[in-house]
Amino acid sequence: MKKMIALMLKDFKLLFKDKMAVFFTFIFPLIFALVFGSIFAGDGNGSRALRVAAVDQDQTEQSQQFITELSAADEFKVQLTDEVNAKTLVRKGKLVAYFILPQGFGEDYQSVFSGNAPDILVGIDPSRKAEAGYLEGSLMKLGIKRFENAFTNADALTEQLDRSIIEIEQSDEVPAEWKSLLGDYLPKMRALAQEQQDAGGSISFGGDTEANPMVPLKVTRQDELVQRSGPRNAYSITIPQGAIWAIMGCVIGFAVSLVQEKTLGTMNRLIVAPISRTQIVAGKALGCFVAQVIVVTLLFLVAYFILGVSFDISKLIIAVIASGICFVGLMMFFASLAKTERSVAGMTNAFLIMMGMIGGAMIPLFVMPGWMQAISDFSPVKWAILALEGAIWRNFSYGEMMTPVLILSAIGIVAFILGTRMVKLEDA
Amino acid sequence: MIIVKGLQKRYGSIQAVDHVSLEIPTGHIFGLLGPNGAGKSTSISIMTGLIDADGGSVELDGLEPKSMKARYNIGLVPQSIALYEELTALDNLAFFASLYSLTPDVKSSRIDWALQFVGLQDRANDRVSEFSGGMKRRLNLAASLLHDPDYIFMDEPTAGVDPQSRNKLFDNVMELKELGKTIIYTTHYMEEAQKLCDRVGIIDHGKLLALGTVNELLHQYGGDTKLSISSEKGVKSFSSANVSEDLTNALRDIDKVYDISMNRPDLEAVFLNLTGRQLRD
Ligand SMILES: Nc1ncnc2c1ncn2[C@@H]1O[C@H](COP(=O)(O)OP(=O)(O)OP(=O)(O)O)[C@@H](O)[C@H]1O
Ligand SMILES: [Mg+2]
Repeated sequence: MKKMIALMLKDFKLLFKDKMAVFFTFIFPLIFALVFGSIFAGDGNGSRALRVAAVDQDQTEQSQQFITELSAADEFKVQLTDEVNAKTLVRKGKLVAYFILPQGFGEDYQSVFSGNAPDILVGIDPSRKAEAGYLEGSLMKLGIKRFENAFTNADALTEQLDRSIIEIEQSDEVPAEWKSLLGDYLPKMRALAQEQQDAGGSISFGGDTEANPMVPLKVTRQDELVQRSGPRNAYSITIPQGAIWAIMGCVIGFAVSLVQEKTLGTMNRLIVAPISRTQIVAGKALGCFVAQVIVVTLLFLVAYFILGVSFDISKLIIAVIASGICFVGLMMFFASLAKTERSVAGMTNAFLIMMGMIGGAMIPLFVMPGWMQAISDFSPVKWAILALEGAIWRNFSYGEMMTPVLILSAIGIVAFILGTRMVKLEDA
Repeated sequence: MIIVKGLQKRYGSIQAVDHVSLEIPTGHIFGLLGPNGAGKSTSISIMTGLIDADGGSVELDGLEPKSMKARYNIGLVPQSIALYEELTALDNLAFFASLYSLTPDVKSSRIDWALQFVGLQDRANDRVSEFSGGMKRRLNLAASLLHDPDYIFMDEPTAGVDPQSRNKLFDNVMELKELGKTIIYTTHYMEEAQKLCDRVGIIDHGKLLALGTVNELLHQYGGDTKLSISSEKGVKSFSSANVSEDLTNALRDIDKVYDISMNRPDLEAVFLNLTGRQLRD
């Protein structure tokens, strides 16, 4: 065992001396996960405008004006449509939410000091709590405008009255009877306007008293379940993909190092030394396995602590072990086929990239068209990604985990047996 | 004591080793001489347990070379430089030493010894890729001696080496002999064999053509010494089996000798006589 560990540590040392290998095993997968993750992430949440549908069932001047204000707001990217379409769009996840302005919206919107706060219906997936909060806040901000209008009107009215009272008092042409009449009437009216203005100043929002006209809008939330085909956090997709790229780097690195051992002639030193062939092969396999575990662990640490990807740790361990077995087997298999570093690197690269492409290391599995998903069954990469995703966002049960785990282990064991049988260590 | 009996190895239509039998006493340096493709490396590979023979047997003090016990006693200096170029000399030695179950103390003292032995202690922390050909050769030797093996198989250890490194390597071989090691040394440089080896085997096309001490071989297969005397009577050239007698006789009727040249038979001549061709093409 000590000798195997020495073999492994030596390989790690060599791997770290090879800057390209380090890049493709450690740096590239991380960049891949981060770059693609941030591209996908920008689509749904983040700082960009929320994509929403608006349905105007009221068709009044006020409702139309409200939608215009909605469209003008930075927070929203509004698409005007009907109720059925709006619901479909939200359920399919194409839009974040829809607003419905029901009949009577305009009437309530106008009557600032009486009647009800205008109704507005928001349909959104209940899990999108952050968006829902942000959305309601933004709606309220727009709703306040209706008070502002009213307040500026009351203000103008008071001013107007003040000016009128003074004018009438100073005028010589107004008959005395009229002066007395208006002098009595106008201040009363002004007092009324003032009263309204003061009342407006003390409005508190957010109180959800039914029929409280002082609430800017009465938002009713309607749960609209998104028929989900993908996870919430885009990094939940790109981290497993990055892990696959890292694992591929390990596979190529160790397949090359095994062949290199032969071409360099150092394998001869190993064979002549008191270490069995099984130990030599096992040392390489162990090195490849441990390297995979290390790179995947690093990626998931970044995923957890920096990107906010959560996962089930015990299922993740199962997934990593299973894919480790699979790819160690493949490493042995390819190392046994090739005679030179170039050919082993080329062959392994070509195979893994192809498997990666059809297996979801580039295009996520869940967005693949059906025919492609069917082909992907033949790719070990697919099963590795599925196992990793099972531990992250697919919420696999242990039973469900078994499918990818068994397939991965079977591929790995068969490839390993074939590889160790065919590999000729002494063949320099 | 190394005992090799009837060794055979075939690669397709090529008989790489053809019924080779040898006995090498402990403490001897045995030279295996032959041109390219003669079967030297293949013989060594079988003797060190690297590859299996098709027939015949090898015993190292009664042990099969593949047995774990024998492996602790075999030092192979491969013909190609078998080192990790990207690692330092020290890292290379440390790794190869770790294959031999040495205690940490022994391990580090053996590494120090080996570096000292080949004169690379100052370059221990440099990468092998920065070494000259001669330095790589010396490290290639050092990497085979870490476990202090009794049997050292050196496959063309001086290939592609400048005279200085070559002399250092010769010194190393003689030092190892003094330490009581049994050494098998392959080469196609006659001078090396003549200088270093107690006994020499000449191999071609997998067959061992002759076996013996250098003097035995010279005597048996070298032919006569070529003598040439230049005097007032002109130049007289002749071959001689008994140089001192023939020379004395020839000088008797000469008054003034201008020059005498003498061409002693060497292993080159032995090889030529055995195979009818030059050793090095
Ligand atoms: N793995 C192999 N496959 C096929 N033929 C081989 C193999 N190894 C050696 N041979 C052949 O066996 C013969 C003996 O080769 P070997 O390497 O033992 O010669 P050598 O005496 O060491 O030559 P050199 O001085 O060039 O190192 C050669 O004809 C060589 O081509
Ligand atoms: Mg050779």
